[in-house]
Amino acid sequence: MVPVTLPQIQFDFSSASARATSDAALKRSVGDATERQSTARRLQMASLDHAEALRTLAGDIKQHALDHLDYYLEQFAENVRKNGGHVYFAGDGAEASRLMLEIASKTRSKRVIKSKSMVSEEIHLAQLMEAAGLDVVETDLGEFIIQINHDRPSHLVTPVIHMNRAAIAKLFSAYFKTPYDDDPKALAMQARDYLREKFRNADMGITGGNFLVAETGHLCCVENEGNQRQSLTTPRVLVSLVGIEKIVPRMIDLSVMLKLLARSATGQPMTIYTNLFGGPRAAGEKDGPEEFHLILIDNGRTEILGSEYRETLRCIRCGACLNVCPVYRKIGGHSYGSVYPGPIGALITPLMQGLDAHQHLPQASSLCGACYEVCPVKIDIPKHLISLRRDIVDRKLNGFAERAVYRLWAWAMKSPFLYCTITRLQKWELGRRAEAGWVKQLPKVAAGWTNIRDIPVPSSKTFHQRWKDRL
Amino acid sequence: MHPSNETMRTSDPDSVLDRVRRALGRTKTPRTIPAPPLIDERVVRLVHTDLGLGELFARRAGEMNMRVTSCYVEECVPKLIESFVEMRIKRVMLSESSLLRKLEILPQLRSAGFDAKTWDEITLDESYDFDASVTDAWRAVAETGSLVLRASPGHGRAMSLVPVVHVAIVEPRNFVADLLDLFELIAREGVGSATTLISGPSKTADIEMNVVTGVHGPNVVNAFVLQ
Repeated sequence: MVPVTLPQIQFDFSSASARATSDAALKRSVGDATERQSTARRLQMASLDHAEALRTLAGDIKQHALDHLDYYLEQFAENVRKNGGHVYFAGDGAEASRLMLEIASKTRSKRVIKSKSMVSEEIHLAQLMEAAGLDVVETDLGEFIIQINHDRPSHLVTPVIHMNRAAIAKLFSAYFKTPYDDDPKALAMQARDYLREKFRNADMGITGGNFLVAETGHLCCVENEGNQRQSLTTPRVLVSLVGIEKIVPRMIDLSVMLKLLARSATGQPMTIYTNLFGGPRAAGEKDGPEEFHLILIDNGRTEILGSEYRETLRCIRCGACLNVCPVYRKIGGHSYGSVYPGPIGALITPLMQGLDAHQHLPQASSLCGACYEVCPVKIDIPKHLISLRRDIVDRKLNGFAERAVYRLWAWAMKSPFLYCTITRLQKWELGRRAEAGWVKQLPKVAAGWTNIRDIPVPSSKTFHQRWKDRL
Repeated sequence: MHPSNETMRTSDPDSVLDRVRRALGRTKTPRTIPAPPLIDERVVRLVHTDLGLGELFARRAGEMNMRVTSCYVEECVPKLIESFVEMRIKRVMLSESSLLRKLEILPQLRSAGFDAKTWDEITLDESYDFDASVTDAWRAVAETGSLVLRASPGHGRAMSLVPVVHVAIVEPRNFVADLLDLFELIAREGVGSATTLISGPSKTADIEMNVVTGVHGPNVVNAFVLQ
């Protein structure tokens, strides 16, 4: 394998999010799309008779699978082999990419069509395969736009949520050397015609997977465009790369999961295509893969499995928590600086890749709880974000100054005398700065607070004084 | 191709399965585990009756922009030909199926002047040059308005994917009420080499949430439901 070094990005969350909030076009694109998707979700969930109980059941099924993951993984792998597929376990991204390149070289595959998968983004699979000299094309329209723009997805389900049609039209015009046309239909058809030739001539198809059915050894993958079906149809070789946490025990569990997944993701009762597969084509069949390979990847998931955060592995990547998150809606996906953005990304990214490099993420939440309310598998995201903030403090990952300030604050707050003195000083200082009942500017250290809002002048008596005067 | 890590019970202490066991606090995978959560029908089932499944299917499929043509057996092929003429279809591929043979679709299409071939007469690559396909359906789900197709030697995966127009002939006995019934059935009867649920024409909403149909799969999916 050709060694590839991915650029080490020095990521600064506060400047990235500040830039994003002052980008009007971005805010409009993300704001409109998330609003529409969460409204559609709300309307579709109402068509379930027992939405609440169904979410509980879905969460219980995923939790049960995680609690017995060794048992189900063995059962699943055995069944895939019975169906004629090859199963590999990869510890991390490097191992998974190495396996992928080995399969490509042994099967003499050059032209690769790849459908959308978050786990492949996680390990930068397409870039690594391209660097190894393979012709890899992303075939989901959104992912195709990302690929030719050398960009990164900013949403789990709708990857180009951050781009408006003018930007996409400009990109296509430059890439295909055609006149500018910003009609969505024309743009989609241009991509269709280009990708159709890729489908027709592909050697190898790559997919992710939404669910792995242990009892039968099949994968369940959902999509709307049909590009994933192309991966399952034309190429000689099919490779699926899936996280080990995607297991469900039984085929019947899919009826629970599928009733929730598309509703939560895009507000559809069902995706256009739901694909079930798990091996090579049968004897006599003219299409479908001659070989099927399945790579099950850990890449930090067992760390989470063994921790108090196990239930976060229930996630089915619907993106509902992104669409309702007041923070995501304002800053978009790229500001998080992680493959998985939004509330769930703020949670699983530090858990999978270490808290040290991602300690900004658990702070990127107002803890309003909207994410928990919409989660189809009931992951208590706010609770876990608070626990991660606790971990940051426990491991002294926050700066020395912050720790010193809080220690000083705690010491002062424990003393009634100091508390009263500070309150009085504060009252006096704020009163001195007030103009017509409002404080409009605080001194430098706290100026950020008053840059965008005013503070009302505190009442003339402190609570302690009023309590003494019997209110 | 069998790399060394394909062995399941490996002694490598850092294999993924070993890490999973360690994370669960054990060194060996248990032989038996508690039963998975009970699937409570009262919670999961959305369609409670087997009456009117055809009407429900038509409504739900229609909501997903699938065309549904309800017809008696004798009017099926004339209606099919009419719609193909309207859409200026010239080349049609047909799946190998007793239902399609019984309806005599192939000879009737040919005598109406269409270039019609069965799946076994063409190569996968040639299928890209066809305008339309006609297949049967393994099942159809009323709850979601979905066609359920199963790949077989006579019914290629490309048939419902590659042409711009896909017609599926659905018999009344093909209907199941709820996804719950479908997956119970699949658990019993198997997936085959691949099974696909189709709930409308291929679509994308990636560009500013504008829905565009026919992006990689068919732009028109028409279910002919026999009375």
